[in-house]
Amino acid sequence: MASAGAGVVGSYLGYALQRAFLGEDQSQAKLKATHTRAARRVAEEMKSLRGAAMKIGQALSLQTGSLPDETLAEFATLQMSAPPMHPSLTRVQFRRSMGAEPEQVFEKFTLEPFAAASLGQVHRAVTREGERVAVKIQYPGIRESIENDFKIFRAVFRPAQTTGHVPAAALDEVQQQILAEVNYEREGENIEYFRKHLAPLSFVEVPQFLPSYSADKVLTMTFMRGKHLPEFLDERPSQKLRDELGARLFELFYFQLLRVGSLHADPNWGNYLFSNSATIALIDFGCAKHLLPESVAYLRSVFLYPGSTHSADFTHLLEKYYAQLGKRLLPATRRALIRFADNFYRLVYLPGLQPVKPFDFGNKSFLETYLAEAKNLFRTKGVLPELIFMVRAEMGLYQTLHRLKARVPTSRIVRTYL
Amino acid sequence: MIAKKPRMGKSNSRTVAGVRKPRRTTARKQRPATRRAVQKQRIRERIVKAALTLFQTQGFEAATTKAIARKARIAEGTVFNYFSSKEDIALYFFEEEVDHAMKSVRDNPRLRKAPLAEKLFALVNSQLEYLAPYERFIGTALIHAMKPHSALGPFSHRAMELRHRYLRFVEELIEESLPRKRNPLGFVASEVFWVYYLGVLLYWLYDTSPAKQHTLAFLDRSLNIGVEMFKAGKR
Repeated sequence: MASAGAGVVGSYLGYALQRAFLGEDQSQAKLKATHTRAARRVAEEMKSLRGAAMKIGQALSLQTGSLPDETLAEFATLQMSAPPMHPSLTRVQFRRSMGAEPEQVFEKFTLEPFAAASLGQVHRAVTREGERVAVKIQYPGIRESIENDFKIFRAVFRPAQTTGHVPAAALDEVQQQILAEVNYEREGENIEYFRKHLAPLSFVEVPQFLPSYSADKVLTMTFMRGKHLPEFLDERPSQKLRDELGARLFELFYFQLLRVGSLHADPNWGNYLFSNSATIALIDFGCAKHLLPESVAYLRSVFLYPGSTHSADFTHLLEKYYAQLGKRLLPATRRALIRFADNFYRLVYLPGLQPVKPFDFGNKSFLETYLAEAKNLFRTKGVLPELIFMVRAEMGLYQTLHRLKARVPTSRIVRTYL
Repeated sequence: MIAKKPRMGKSNSRTVAGVRKPRRTTARKQRPATRRAVQKQRIRERIVKAALTLFQTQGFEAATTKAIARKARIAEGTVFNYFSSKEDIALYFFEEEVDHAMKSVRDNPRLRKAPLAEKLFALVNSQLEYLAPYERFIGTALIHAMKPHSALGPFSHRAMELRHRYLRFVEELIEESLPRKRNPLGFVASEVFWVYYLGVLLYWLYDTSPAKQHTLAFLDRSLNIGVEMFKAGKR
């Protein structure tokens, strides 16, 4: 990471020196090229580190509006790629976990992975029963590398912890969730949980977990078909298809929040597969957030709040929730939350009962508003660890809807589940 | 009497039609197996197995040839028909280990076209898996090797011969991936690899992670970086 940092500083220093001699157009072109070079260097380093560093890069790649487009393009390569393990190491990991070679366990096994992500890589295989499956094999020592990465992050974030902007509990929550993703037995339980609870949504496909073909570092599930978002968009889907898919993604999010009380919480585009019939397949269940009943009740009370956000009643709802979580709602946080509701949520989700036009997520300005309000809220030190992953999933949803340029009847969908 | 035409120097068996064949370091030559030879080999293996058990449970220093003989259910004098000392037994074990590792790489068809980092990984991993049941013994053997005049020490004739054979094999693997013309520092590469291997062995001995996952991760990362640095140094 240090060498990547030095390289990035070098790039920008080089740009700064040249800028004195360039015209405006050349200067802008040079700046874009510098962004690309710097981002590529950081992305390559994050890929080689895998683990938590790569997850942070993946999260950053979804930050449309907060980072230059060239940077986002490079970080987007982190969504589904990390340097894979070479075949000998893959075999060793598999054998140590399953007690046998892949060819002894499966009828067929492809040694070259078809996807390599932050914590493991995925192989195609066929079981003895003839079922086509995806087999995820974890990288060696990944748990320890995450723990080491977080020691560094905590040191980096110490000033923000001291001022209260990033409470230690928030970093604990993030670290716990990422470490939980390393537990493939837990992920198997998550798959079974979401397969059961998302069954009412006919457009959502959840794979089947195969415990007899899985172990602590090997996870096998049925093979899901579809295209990742970039590949799906490359085929230039119609606006109708984009709108339908957008509405379904939106419905999936609110169904999970308001009916199930749990979220498939990693919005990384590598975790979704889309089809031309607007079905959505979920493929990574490492990050699942089970909300407290108090959180679900709070969200149900504030979503599409019919009255004024400046009312005593609305304030009472906010104060009550914070108190339930053992926190005091600071006046600055209260003001920031109300501002957030007025400037963003009332824009995207109109509370009234009258029919309204679908919200057009294609216009980038809503994202800029969201980021501005989120930054404002962050400055008030009102971050609640309980909602970190929900906010991350929400942000990921908006980013995806923006890429899809989907037009979604937001309030109608939310009202269905309130 | 017709004078024989003098031979114009030894023929180069590695050159065929002007093309130099890659040399192949092989395991030590085994004699054809007569019944007596098979019987002797069985006894040798019994002695080695008994010795390794005692090295592992009692430690290398504490194990005696008397105890080894008793464990192997043979007379102490018989042990000395096969091995001159317990260091001799240990060296035999390490020679078997190296032979096994080289064979596992050479006999694996999947490795023939594999990149250098993977071949080296397979070699080192094969060695560590062979040594794994005797981890405690390896630690004490390394300490014993540090003693002056130790037969296990790096300057003993047999240890040097073993090391040379191993490093020749590593040079072959490097040569297969980076031909000598582009590899002027080839001889240094294998020596550097030896130091690296000793470092990995120490790391492995100190690794308390479940299933030695840290060592695997270290091997994976360091070999990739090392080979890239080596290739970059070539340019």
